[in-house]
Amino acid sequence: MKGNIIGKRIPRIDSVPKATGTAEYTVDLKLPGMIYGKILRSPLPHARIKSLDVSAAEALPGVCAVITAADVPMGKFSFFQWLADKTIFSSDKVRYVGDEVAAVAAIDADTAEKAIELIQVDYDPLPAVFETEEAMTADAPLIHDQESNIGFKVERHFGDPDNAFESCDFVVEGCYKTDRVAHCCLEVSNCVASWTPEGRLSIWTNAQAPHTQRQEVARILEIPLQDVRIINSHMGGGFGSKLVMDMKLPIAAVLSKKTGRPVKIQNTRAEEFSTAKTRYGYTMYVKTGAKKDGTLQARTVRVIADNGAYHDKGPATLNFSSMMFATLYNIPNIHYEGMVVYTNKQMSTAFRGFGNPQLTFACEVQLDELAEKIGMDPVEIRRINANTPGQKLQCGAVVPTCGLRECIEVAAQNIAWKEKYNRKDKLRGVGVANMVHTAAGGRYYGYNATDSFIKVADDGTVSIVTPGLEMGQGVHTVVAMIVAEELGLDMKSVKVLSNDTDLTPYDLGSWGSRATFVVGNAALATAREARVVIIETAAKMLDTKPEFIDLENGMAVARGPGMPEKSVSMGKLAAYAINNMKAPISVKGQWADDIPEDWDIKTEFVKNVRSFAFATQTCEVEIDKDTGEVKVLKFVAAHETGTTMNEMLAEGQIEGAVMQGIGFTLMESMTLDNGRVVNDGFLDYKLPTFGEQPEIDVQLIETGDPHGPYGAKGIGEAGLVPTAAALANAIYNASGIRVTELPITREFMLNALREK
Amino acid sequence: MKRELNITINGQPYNLFVSTHRTLLEVIRDDLDLTGTKVGCEMGECGACTVIMDGRTVNSCLVLAHEAEGCEVQTIEDLTEDGKLHPIQESFVEHGAIQCGFCTSGMIMSTKGLLEKNPNPGEDEIRSEMRGNLCRCTGYVKIVEAIEAVRDGGDK
Repeated sequence: MKGNIIGKRIPRIDSVPKATGTAEYTVDLKLPGMIYGKILRSPLPHARIKSLDVSAAEALPGVCAVITAADVPMGKFSFFQWLADKTIFSSDKVRYVGDEVAAVAAIDADTAEKAIELIQVDYDPLPAVFETEEAMTADAPLIHDQESNIGFKVERHFGDPDNAFESCDFVVEGCYKTDRVAHCCLEVSNCVASWTPEGRLSIWTNAQAPHTQRQEVARILEIPLQDVRIINSHMGGGFGSKLVMDMKLPIAAVLSKKTGRPVKIQNTRAEEFSTAKTRYGYTMYVKTGAKKDGTLQARTVRVIADNGAYHDKGPATLNFSSMMFATLYNIPNIHYEGMVVYTNKQMSTAFRGFGNPQLTFACEVQLDELAEKIGMDPVEIRRINANTPGQKLQCGAVVPTCGLRECIEVAAQNIAWKEKYNRKDKLRGVGVANMVHTAAGGRYYGYNATDSFIKVADDGTVSIVTPGLEMGQGVHTVVAMIVAEELGLDMKSVKVLSNDTDLTPYDLGSWGSRATFVVGNAALATAREARVVIIETAAKMLDTKPEFIDLENGMAVARGPGMPEKSVSMGKLAAYAINNMKAPISVKGQWADDIPEDWDIKTEFVKNVRSFAFATQTCEVEIDKDTGEVKVLKFVAAHETGTTMNEMLAEGQIEGAVMQGIGFTLMESMTLDNGRVVNDGFLDYKLPTFGEQPEIDVQLIETGDPHGPYGAKGIGEAGLVPTAAALANAIYNASGIRVTELPITREFMLNALREK
Repeated sequence: MKRELNITINGQPYNLFVSTHRTLLEVIRDDLDLTGTKVGCEMGECGACTVIMDGRTVNSCLVLAHEAEGCEVQTIEDLTEDGKLHPIQESFVEHGAIQCGFCTSGMIMSTKGLLEKNPNPGEDEIRSEMRGNLCRCTGYVKIVEAIEAVRDGGDK
């Protein structure tokens, strides 16, 4: 769609403040009287705390407060409260290197740091376990007071895979592994808490989901929800890392209450790498069967996810990957078994793609292996198994719109698949992978709805209050574009107000590629409501009928048969509404997902997703036989957008995600030494730089969506979902080396090339 | 131990009294509240704190404040003139080279340093010169486009 605004390449509304350094982030925040907090963390992966002595720290000049488990509510907490397993501070034992043990607040950061070093903790080390499959054995040390280290299990099943495999012409089986990787937001996790004497706790932080974090803070501190307020500033990246409350929030809050001053706690980069949670590492045993014509008949998987020391988003991640597993292709017989397993490592959490990049890597690499067995081109096997618009899948999902075949077509064409596939020269090759992802978040809260408010001021400015959480992806710009489009305004006339739970309507936050879809739909409903009121006002003012009024260029214009054209500016119109009609223009609009009341996530798990977006990525690689370096020459990312709201922002989302995918595939890995993260800086934890960026050809396929605003689908995560598989498949095409484990390091490639 | 520090930041001379262990970044951000310069790693690895010191780009987290004695330092806050964006800033905005924006100040200062050194860098030179600035959001594509557009516009 191309409107006056929608579909255009419009710069972000926050880009000038960001380009001039005036945009304020939470790390920039300084409040009057603010002091600095620091957390003492466990140096051991698994140990009993024998004793704790804070007296020397308390005696240090400049220290304002020292707190331990004795000073905070000690009820257990987790994102899913029914899996609660973590207290604010460890009192009896620590379970990973980084576990919170105590905290101080001091007049400056240096003093806080010194005070932390003065706290004496006597530990009794316990045997620790770092690998999931080792943690599942009978004699593994138990991390929690449970019968085993398996923290959660889920099974999804339909059809009869066992029988179906019998009748398949070709079956392949394999084990695939993906590593734990860090989000590496450029702004570290940090917060400022101010608990004032009237009993109000305000926390400034970089939260992706302020309203649910507000609930989490109230829950863990055992205080009324109404006492808590979360305020966001501009946010230096999220990618899933800032969905669930970090313990520094309640810790800063208690320090603030004790001292009567605002308290800031900010991770160091090393602390961020060691404690800010990672992507769930997946070990996947996958089996796929097909007929000799290439049609997929059955697929099973057993996923073992590395939980780290405590629960976070594991169950939801496993559930979500089961849905994508069942909907990528219409496979009639499926079994999915997933579990999260405790290890003595930092916690895992959501990370762009939410379990789907891991599983798509395994399934799409295995699909190539299957295609090879059948003697079929990898593009062809994907084409014949691709879903089509309107299709009802055997798992129960319906895909009303589906552009997968167009994606495959353009991705193959733009990488010159026919010329380059199987060329077998110079260790060069091409690879392909498909994916499906939610285009609208998830429904597992049982609630997927939000509101927004609009007011029109007598200067012609239209302000919208939206809960859309801006973490860099561009949702505030999208919301402003929707308002401008509907009300015939330029972008400068629209103001977006957000970022404060006292101000904004309840919303679940920015995750699951849901912001444009959910918040955008609410903005659209609100803008259309405002349009009706504005037009009615203009009709009164211009003495005509509403149907003759149009809104354009900041004016209400009346055009009708046999009447002279008349117009009035938005500002004058708003003033007229205030002064003459005693009815200032302000409206509310909402969007609510029609979640079936009898929906049971267990039996109808695929209905968790409201809308799907499909994509195909292809790439070309060249492998250096002397260094093992995989040089990525080009990526084609063909993604279904439904309707492209803003081409420039959409491209940016996909380009950035592809690069994160390249990091996930070729470079990024946490190196541990007895549970301690060794590569806890950007020098040793390799992030893609300007040098690793290949040409990225983004193709946006507009297929529409029956539920999205203007037919848009969410695209925030999709860009890295198929990236690893496309790369691994290209590596196979280039070298004959079948990769089943990420990251694909130079060392691995060099050894594999030598063994060949 | 604190010592006197004379430094010019964005054309404004300052006479400060600063502990010897503190970095230029800390003075810029914490003492002078010029928070446009960002703190990303404090190890010289991410480039978010890039400023221009006596004509060359530095990671201000790696420079001790007293090493900058007598120096002229320019930060992102000094780039606009009479409220008008610098061509590099304009180009970053227009080309969608900004997402979360946390790396942006450093990126823009590094770009300025690069173009002052060589007004006509090729793509390879842009990539190798900018390598010390990390971005986790954009995938660099649009940042390179923005830099090339400034280069081709003849502005710096």
